[in-house]
Amino acid sequence: MTLDWLGLFPESIRLILLKLPKAMLDHLEEIRIREERPLEINAAGRHHFLDRDGGLSLHPGEAYKPTREDTRRLLDLISNHSLYTMEEELRKGFITIPGGHRVGLVGRTVLSGGRVEHIRDISGFNVRIAKEIRGAADEILPFLLDRKRGRVMHTLILSPPQQGKTTLLRDLARQISYGSWGNAQLQWPGLKVGIIDERSEIAGCQRGVPGFDVGPRTDVLDGCPKAEGMMMMIRSMSPDVLIVDEIGRPEDAEAVNEALHAGISVIATAHGSSIQDIGGRPALSALVQQRRFEMYAVLCRKGHERSYKLYDGGQRTLQTAGAGPPGGDAYA
Amino acid sequence: MLNLIGAILVLAAGTLAGFYQAHQFALRPRQLRELILALQRLETEISYGFTPLPDALERIGGGLKEPLKTLFIAASDYMSPDYGLSAEDSIRKALNMHWRRTSMKTAEKDVLDRLSGVLGTSDRQDQIKHIALAVGQLQHEEAAAREDQAKYEKMSKSLGLLIGALIVILIF
Repeated sequence: MTLDWLGLFPESIRLILLKLPKAMLDHLEEIRIREERPLEINAAGRHHFLDRDGGLSLHPGEAYKPTREDTRRLLDLISNHSLYTMEEELRKGFITIPGGHRVGLVGRTVLSGGRVEHIRDISGFNVRIAKEIRGAADEILPFLLDRKRGRVMHTLILSPPQQGKTTLLRDLARQISYGSWGNAQLQWPGLKVGIIDERSEIAGCQRGVPGFDVGPRTDVLDGCPKAEGMMMMIRSMSPDVLIVDEIGRPEDAEAVNEALHAGISVIATAHGSSIQDIGGRPALSALVQQRRFEMYAVLCRKGHERSYKLYDGGQRTLQTAGAGPPGGDAYA
Repeated sequence: MLNLIGAILVLAAGTLAGFYQAHQFALRPRQLRELILALQRLETEISYGFTPLPDALERIGGGLKEPLKTLFIAASDYMSPDYGLSAEDSIRKALNMHWRRTSMKTAEKDVLDRLSGVLGTSDRQDQIKHIALAVGQLQHEEAAAREDQAKYEKMSKSLGLLIGALIVILIF
């Protein structure tokens, strides 16, 4: 596990993080920095406050409190000393940094015409560490293959935030693109994969080049709105499989429909903890009712335990399984 | 004979010192002009090019003459992630390392020092205002530097020779 993201912290915070045990550092999921309030980390689904010596505690009283200077430096470093180039990112509320890690920002918003123009006085940061876990999709991928027709099924992956949707999606893209199907008898070649990466999370692109290994036959449309991106991909890049994160708006559903009719397999994710959950969202529920998806995968995690359930298009349970590779929070 | 050689040496040294001083008076406005143009280019890079600060400084530095070239490129280098420095620290470090090679004075350095504290830390409009302010101050300094040049450049040359002569007279 590389710790490339450590260089982006101001020295005071970096030294505290370096005092953490190696195992903890490797499994960090989030580092939350709030000006003049306790420094918090999330690892393996649990939160801790950090004191000056890297000690963990659940009591905020003893924790290190990042100063104004700390937050100012952090912002300077994560914006590559150029906050003025981040107007679009500030409108969306997060910055993607090298390595595909994402930093969420809060502060005082500046409005223009009723919409958020950008964020000023940024005082709260949530650094989400992206992980490339090869093999995260090993368990699920064999179920997503339509062996008769030699294609990947239309799949919707559901899970609440922080359960590993994006990590799973990234590994699916990689394995489909390489043609490693987790089955020695299957001699299919790799397929053309198109990723619409609206928030630069799946591929972690820097200047258009993926930071993660997403496979040799994968094209990434970085920072593009999903609905528009899907249409652009279909028209210009002739993908076999389209991969898209967090669909939910009506235009997304429309674009998914378009892709299905063009004979392209779609693997999408959505927030939710069960298929019933998305019934309340008109755009998605229409897709469910029309049986557009052939497979649903629902991820869930309790502490270190991680599991998934698979349902077919008619919402019948196909498979319920526990953890995959060791390291319970592989989907972090 | 030896006395004569000594006297000539002292005179030559005085003259050279005078010419050096005069040269400094001539260089300062020239470097100030170049610095102002560089900052105006930086403003363009920020407002129209959306160029990240390290790239912008490197690009601008490439088109400058020494010693400003080294100053800009060093600031850009210090901003690389290997150093872990903020933009402000990087620029201050470059200023401390390379300022003495320029002919400019502390007033100009203070302007850049103040600018370094805000560069890259706000949105475009804000950056443009700060750079324009710095340019304004530098232009003020440039006018003063030109006045100094007109007043003192020739005088320094003569003064060097005269001081050399004075020393020769005092010694003998």
